[in-house]
Amino acid sequence: MKTLATIPLPVILGLFLLMSPACTKKAVQSGGDARALQEDMARGGATKGGASSSFPDTSLSGKDDANGLRGIDRNPLEERLGGGGHNGTGTVSPGNTLTAKPDHGAAARQLAEIRAEQAASAAAGLRDVFFTYDSFSITDEGRHALTGDAEWIKSNPQAQLKIEGHCDERGTSAYNLVLGEKRAKAVRNYLVELGVVSQHLSVVSYGKERPFCMEHGEHCYSLNRRGHLAVKVGK
Amino acid sequence: MTLRTLVIAGFCAVVGLVWIIESGAADVFLEATRPDFQKIPLAIAGIENLGGTESPEGRVKLGSRIEEVLKTDVRRSLVFALVDVNGLGIKSGQLGAEPDPSFKHAVENGVSVVVWGRAGIKSGNKDSDVNMDGYVYDAGNNEVVGGKRYVGSTSVVRLMAHRFADELVFRYTGEPGIARTKIAYVSELGSARELFVMDYDGYDPRQLTADGFLNLMPRWSPDRRFLVFTTYRNRNTQDIDLLELATGKRWTIVSQGGLNITPALSPDGNFLAYSSSSEGNAELYRMDTHTKAVQRLTTNSGGDLSPSWAPSGRELAFTSDRNGGPQVFLISADGSNVRRLTFEGDYNAAPAWSPRGNWIAYVCRTSRKEYKLCLITPDGQKRVQLTTGPGVDDSPSWSPDGRHIVFSSTADGKSHIYMINTDGKDLERITFTGTHNSAPAWSPAS
Repeated sequence: MKTLATIPLPVILGLFLLMSPACTKKAVQSGGDARALQEDMARGGATKGGASSSFPDTSLSGKDDANGLRGIDRNPLEERLGGGGHNGTGTVSPGNTLTAKPDHGAAARQLAEIRAEQAASAAAGLRDVFFTYDSFSITDEGRHALTGDAEWIKSNPQAQLKIEGHCDERGTSAYNLVLGEKRAKAVRNYLVELGVVSQHLSVVSYGKERPFCMEHGEHCYSLNRRGHLAVKVGK
Repeated sequence: MTLRTLVIAGFCAVVGLVWIIESGAADVFLEATRPDFQKIPLAIAGIENLGGTESPEGRVKLGSRIEEVLKTDVRRSLVFALVDVNGLGIKSGQLGAEPDPSFKHAVENGVSVVVWGRAGIKSGNKDSDVNMDGYVYDAGNNEVVGGKRYVGSTSVVRLMAHRFADELVFRYTGEPGIARTKIAYVSELGSARELFVMDYDGYDPRQLTADGFLNLMPRWSPDRRFLVFTTYRNRNTQDIDLLELATGKRWTIVSQGGLNITPALSPDGNFLAYSSSSEGNAELYRMDTHTKAVQRLTTNSGGDLSPSWAPSGRELAFTSDRNGGPQVFLISADGSNVRRLTFEGDYNAAPAWSPRGNWIAYVCRTSRKEYKLCLITPDGQKRVQLTTGPGVDDSPSWSPDGRHIVFSSTADGKSHIYMINTDGKDLERITFTGTHNSAPAWSPAS
């Protein structure tokens, strides 16, 4: 249990104001989001956005530990859920607690860039490398493919290559990101061995999140365990 | 017919939406909280319909919907045993604010709590507000110990039931209940993966991002205001972002090049643990969220990832492949005292420390090369396989009451989100739309 001494005075004052029975209708929010907003107001202002060096306080310290419940009461007051009440206690409706506005323009731009990248990569005729289960070793076939790729890169020195590491759907999402990076780095290291300047190469792991083949089964799995070479477009 | 059989019959009617857990797993008793805890027999004598349906074209009456949601919440609380009112002759409907004489017979048969109420849009209400009254009769006191009165639009009728369920749990356990908790998850839109959040029972999904690429592995801040997750900047590098649910506002908090994955805020919110390969291979780091100072926790040639905080904040479980295949390790929060926890099998990953501290859930690869959920005690003394059958299980995440685990599985083909009790019972699928739902993260309790 928190003692009063650990709770900043403005929070206590703010909560006192919020809890004062202005009228018999009590506004109750959908959950912690709204309560937290109230606490922000109680602290004297909403959190400011900012760059990577500054982001809002994520800690629990100094915050009210109540759970938003008012108990089962012999003479229960009416609790208004989801806002729309007539008192000014900062009610937030469930709709307002989650107002992330999907920017579908961003998704469309991504798609256009992905298509341009795919077209440029296809035009270059680069070959991908395939891996065995759980492995990030380049096979003989992979070495053969990369020998051709290395020649193309050397003769196109203006091109920036992205090496994507991919995994099949088995295993955890998280560990497959690590495995995918190992695969991408194995491809990069072999290209460098073949004389490609490493400044032309970047690596990224997509784990099992961007599969080439959607079915369940070894045929798809073998196509998805891949080091994919893409010609970067734009940035 | 005894009460026990009635209770069991009631449970059988609602359990088993997807596939039945093999008896081997169900035999293992793993009550996550109190081993001697007896469920409280509770009867819901009905939520009478006062008028109105969920939507203008809908057929489900408001009282009926609240009753259905309340029953599911009460069952999932695992605090109460839901008793079949018909079998006990409890009068349902037309109940006032006083206990009905029919409760006496039910109490003699072991019922401890009777709940009833009424809900709907009263005729002449021009705001179309839904009103709900709920009553709680306690056999121990032999009286109506109180009730709740809710009002709101038709969009909050499920919330009325959830709040009432949480009030019941709170009254009888002192804990807030899970009926108002949320689950953040990743869902596929086209070839992109975006963040969503839904109620704990799978209803009311809301899209949070629309970046058109990959957003992965969300985790909650302890105050439920924020999610931390991995996002791909320009598709080429990974950042860790913070998203405020109330506003949709985003901040990039880790942007270092290489992998920047599996962020997890400490239980007090003062530290962010994550994995980054910015200095070579994937290592664990810990950022002080106030000073932004970053401390590297691991140094070895293997990949270290998926940190999960102990509820004390003093230790973390994580995945490491320093010995070959991935295994679960433990580490003190300052980077000292690293030790391996899992030794059975050649693939153990994605650990999730329970909010009670007594179990760590993780993905274990079986001898049949199936990816299932396992539980292990932090001292490594007890280990249990929790799920069986087909499909890749991933991303276990605990309910804040420590009684359930939510996870993704391809058991039905496409990846969907499932819930299971920590004793292996009551496996339920909770997402039914979308082509790929994954990486569930259960919110803290409100």
